[in-house]
Amino acid sequence: MEGVKKGDFSAEDFMSATIDRIKNIDDKVHAFLQINSDAVEQARQIDKKLKLGEKIGACFGMPISIKDNICIKNSKTTCASKMLENFIAPYDATVISKLKEQDAVFVGKANMDEFAMGLTTEFSAYGPSRNPWNTDYVPGGSSGGSAVSVSAFECVASLGSDTGGSVRNPASFCSTVGYKPTYGLISRYGLISYANSIEQIGPITRTVKDTAFLLNIISGLDANDNTTIDNGSQDYLSEIDSGIEGRKIGIVKEMMGEGIDSSVLSATNDAVSRLEGLGAVCENVSIDMVKYSVAAYYTITATEAGSNLARYDNLRYGYDFPVEGFEFNSYISKARAKFGPEVIRRMILGGFVPSSGHAGKYFLKALKVKSKLTKEVNEAFKKYDYLIAPTVPILPFKIGEKINDPVSLFLVDINTVMSNLSGIPSISIPFAMSNGLPIGMQMMAKHLDDKSLLQAAKALENTVHLPEVSI
Amino acid sequence: MVTEEEIEQVAKLMKIDVHDHKEFVEKVHDMINYFDILDSAGVEDEEIIMKDLPLSSLREDKHIPYDDKLIEKLNNYKGSYVRAPKMI
Repeated sequence: MEGVKKGDFSAEDFMSATIDRIKNIDDKVHAFLQINSDAVEQARQIDKKLKLGEKIGACFGMPISIKDNICIKNSKTTCASKMLENFIAPYDATVISKLKEQDAVFVGKANMDEFAMGLTTEFSAYGPSRNPWNTDYVPGGSSGGSAVSVSAFECVASLGSDTGGSVRNPASFCSTVGYKPTYGLISRYGLISYANSIEQIGPITRTVKDTAFLLNIISGLDANDNTTIDNGSQDYLSEIDSGIEGRKIGIVKEMMGEGIDSSVLSATNDAVSRLEGLGAVCENVSIDMVKYSVAAYYTITATEAGSNLARYDNLRYGYDFPVEGFEFNSYISKARAKFGPEVIRRMILGGFVPSSGHAGKYFLKALKVKSKLTKEVNEAFKKYDYLIAPTVPILPFKIGEKINDPVSLFLVDINTVMSNLSGIPSISIPFAMSNGLPIGMQMMAKHLDDKSLLQAAKALENTVHLPEVSI
Repeated sequence: MVTEEEIEQVAKLMKIDVHDHKEFVEKVHDMINYFDILDSAGVEDEEIIMKDLPLSSLREDKHIPYDDKLIEKLNNYKGSYVRAPKMI
């Protein structure tokens, strides 16, 4: 947005070009569920303020897409579900209020897996998004629309939400930067809940610097979310070029094991070599609980989802559905038929794993794995400044290839859920291409070391030169 | 081993209609069976870390004025009455 700031072009021109781009290509990639028909006018108002010499926010009309589970007042927020097909949000999420104060313009609501349950965006009730690098392939998920919109130049940046990798996974598959902050760094007020104890809103951008820029705006304490933490108004952009000389990096052994694609393994080894070339010291580290993290993650998230989704019963939230001819329970059951298959599966799991007679075997054991994993991660950070592993151990796959095998889909999450369960910050940056498909590299840091993590990611990003998407 | 009948019973309790969806129940069954890996994690003696949240950090329970007229957002009418789902 430097061009708008310097007067090289207007915010309106930039927004008009962005909307034209969306109109030209979005039927190929389906990043958006709704487009903001007022976006150009809002950009025009920013130009007016500029001409009048009024104070302008740091975004200067930056076109940003927003995952459709984040509330923007008076606009549709569907969570890509037919259950919320006509739900109009009555208030702004805190991240939205903060971006509005800085003169961002929301270009549209991005597609996602229904209620953020999925990792391919195939579970959207409005049809899948497609990977702009090859439209036969999934873009990752659940924030797939967000990553596609950034990768395909349909906006400058996006906000997604990350419960088990839902920002980093699509960022990796679409060759963008995806950031999962320390738990509590960004307010979740106005994010439609899936699994409150581990989910976070996170930016998806084209560069690490853009992520730091957005983090400066949207992070910090919020009276409306008492899980937020005081970050001391840290400036994530300053000193971003500090480099990583002398830093110690642990390569997580359990994230490089069975099932990893050979090109992903080779890219990771290359990343390690480059980091060593920048003066970092890299060693293997073992975090034993990673093996159990996916099962623990799905047990905990399903339990929280079972509780969170109970409100969609057509009494509190839902859609117009005639009541005649039903008794109370069957009305709710029939109304819930609008949930998609993955949501129903996870709701049933969420009812089952914490239920009487099963809680000790599943839910309590999952919480114990979470505790032990957190201890192991904290132990690793006594020795290392950062951890590294590929964001996803395999390459993007074809749409439909894994949709009927939920257990094989689980394992796509194996490298990302650890950060959510332990609350640490984690970033995926574009690193390599294999057969025309992107590979992302993930770096992690200890709790609240977000600034340092962005510096390390920037150092690695400086070594990478990748093509732009040709769609 | 979890049985499919148990899964169907939980679905019923959660007011989710999955009758005649054998394949669907089988998938849930496969997912739950995958969770059996937790048995080999060796965490029986592990303590669950809970974060204490002091009452003082909770938001004050006070009325916040809301400008929008919620009544205007309702759109299911019969004559001059607002229709709501039957409760009993």
